[in-house]
Amino acid sequence: MKSTETDKNPLLIVLGLPLNLLLAFLRFLDRLRANRAGFIGFLGLIAYFILTFVMPSFIPFDAEVNLDEITGPVGSRIQLAVRAEDSQLRNFEDLAGLRVGVVDQTGGPSLVAPYAHTFTVEKYRWTSRRAGPGIEAALQDLADGEIDAMLIFSKTVQGIRDSAENLELAALFENGDIVISNPGLGPPHLLGTDTQGRDIATHIVHGGRILILTAIIGGVISTGIALVFGSLSALFGGTLDSVLTALTNLVLAVPRFPLLVVLAGLIRFNNTLLLGVMIGLLGWPALMRAIRSQVLSLRERDFVEAARSLGLSTNHIMFREILPNMTSYVLINFIFSITFAMYEQIGLLVLGLAPINDYTWGVMLFFGRSRGTLYNPDGASMALSPVLAIAFFQVCLVLFARALEEIFDPRLRAAV
Amino acid sequence: MSQHSPDLERGGALSNPLDFLFQLLEKYPIHKNYYLRIFVQALLTIWAVMSITFVLVRLMPGNPVDILIEQILTQEGISYQEAYDRVAASFNIDPDATMLDQYWAWFADLLRLDLGESITSPGTLVIDEIARFLPWTLFAVGTGLLLSFVLGVALGMTMAYYRDSALDHALSLVSSFFTGVPNYIWGLLIIIGPGISWQWFDVGAVRGTYDPGLKPGLTLEFLASVIEHALLPIITYVLATLGGWMLSMKSSTTSVLNDDYVNVAEARGLQDRRIISAYVGRNAALPLFTQLSISVGFALGSGIVIEEIFVYWGFGHYLFQAITVRDYTGVQGAVLILTMAVVFANLFADLSYGMLDPRVRISGAK
Repeated sequence: MKSTETDKNPLLIVLGLPLNLLLAFLRFLDRLRANRAGFIGFLGLIAYFILTFVMPSFIPFDAEVNLDEITGPVGSRIQLAVRAEDSQLRNFEDLAGLRVGVVDQTGGPSLVAPYAHTFTVEKYRWTSRRAGPGIEAALQDLADGEIDAMLIFSKTVQGIRDSAENLELAALFENGDIVISNPGLGPPHLLGTDTQGRDIATHIVHGGRILILTAIIGGVISTGIALVFGSLSALFGGTLDSVLTALTNLVLAVPRFPLLVVLAGLIRFNNTLLLGVMIGLLGWPALMRAIRSQVLSLRERDFVEAARSLGLSTNHIMFREILPNMTSYVLINFIFSITFAMYEQIGLLVLGLAPINDYTWGVMLFFGRSRGTLYNPDGASMALSPVLAIAFFQVCLVLFARALEEIFDPRLRAAV
Repeated sequence: MSQHSPDLERGGALSNPLDFLFQLLEKYPIHKNYYLRIFVQALLTIWAVMSITFVLVRLMPGNPVDILIEQILTQEGISYQEAYDRVAASFNIDPDATMLDQYWAWFADLLRLDLGESITSPGTLVIDEIARFLPWTLFAVGTGLLLSFVLGVALGMTMAYYRDSALDHALSLVSSFFTGVPNYIWGLLIIIGPGISWQWFDVGAVRGTYDPGLKPGLTLEFLASVIEHALLPIITYVLATLGGWMLSMKSSTTSVLNDDYVNVAEARGLQDRRIISAYVGRNAALPLFTQLSISVGFALGSGIVIEEIFVYWGFGHYLFQAITVRDYTGVQGAVLILTMAVVFANLFADLSYGMLDPRVRISGAK
């Protein structure tokens, strides 16, 4: 008697709920720890949460265009190479009126524009196997007096000095014909700098939040529609089922991503979150089918049969009997739908069909490709950093979702 | 009751063609034929998608017809009527017709596979353009899918046989990696790593579908060039789809391994190799063949970003170009091809499953 009274004490229920949730979470963590890959994924997601939602408050977005810190290899500095007799040239103020060599693809016209009126810019191509005057030619011109100074990365200088193949160029530094006049210019950057000399690490910190929010919006909408349509279809059957199933087949008939590309191309979204809604509206059909068949099979189970024979309402059967049995399944698929939404929106961004007004990882990829830093070993960081950020985020989500699958799906657990 | 003489009934049936049809159907119940039914369903789906596309293109904010007329007017300075006629011709529209008449005319053209002319480059037929771009994607995507299927089946079976070993854990981590990382991210990684930083190949030289100087033909040189240019997209498709096959094959094999007939085969003392190939492998891979044929349908459109990244001139590249220059007839044609691929791939999966697996042949044909 006493125990039933305390069970129904509202105060105890209110106080007990957070405690119970905490205990359930701790139990869940305990099971998750047994699955090492899943635990790593979980820790990774926490790290991503800190990186994209907490750290932006402490690390300001670097929006300042800096000529002296243009795209460079990770950890390198931009340096001013001059002839030995000009070693008094140290800053950009000193360069006024002179001819300065810039390697084209690393900086490009957008970079030099704010300074172009103070000195003459001579562009040199970054050389791969393709022909064209490259860094070698620029240094030779510098030694010959064709240009007065040259912007070059510390890593590149290092490479030339250590080069066993290009002894002529190495000799320019060895003999002191060319010197680096400002070895300390510009702080080193954790992930290097982009085409405008802005710190990439701060962009990575700030570039994830909107992407993740958009993906979550897409995931919530597609999972929500799938859940509602799937359970309505299975519970009520008849015409409603036929109509919803036909609609599902229709949406499934056009591949999602190309359809999204077509729609984004026609509509031209200017709001990232709106894009998330669009992704959600197209992403539900496959999950709807799965949930429909889940509900259909749960409906035949004994406990639901019992509830129905007791005359309980459809509401009760859905929310009290069937839904609790699908929670883990829906949760796992929600996580997968986030990965799909992430895939789709970044794909659109790379194609240039999504709004680029927020500087996200996807926009960094877009600019990394369109400004050519992708094809330049000195500038790879601008594309490589968001590539890795996206890849590891997706992998963490998949690892976590798979761990949940193994924990909650007894069939898999028995098999593994 | 008495007026329903057999004589009258026959007369009524013959006078009403619908009744005659029903009688025929009763005698030959083709509407109950499973294969015919799913075939008609497939055609209906394609028709519905194309009709929606037809309406969508005409109701889109900034009606493409008006936009194009304006473009032509400002670019070429011809009369409004001329511009209107040109646009109407490329859209296959009779200018004076109502929307419904336009629809029937368009539908009749569609049945003849006449997809109209490209809007942005007048004189080129959309169907010719698609025929020019599609084979490259089919080649790259098909090869990639086949390779990743074979690899995935082999690795998945390995995982199931050595489950809970260190090998299984390592492979399942790898498969999570392959599944999680988007295909275009693999593409970008291939460009940044081997392509640019390590200089294993020249990124610029493998663009396009074959070396520009070569003449298409069955020469060894041409085929080598085709493979060389398709290699990067193929590697990317393999990396991006391998994880899924590994996991499907693992769970499929695991469930087959628990089946009685495998235990019986082991008890009979059959060779392990024979059990693996004839008993386990065959049965475990069966459901995957259905998945394979379905994913062939979807794969056609999944390569848009990859083809853009590698500048591989396939179907995805064509669709993307058509969208960026707002070539609406081109987009319509591409959507038709995409839809047909998915619908017929699903149809093929439905039909082939019964043929591959005798156990479902009877129940499937019901």
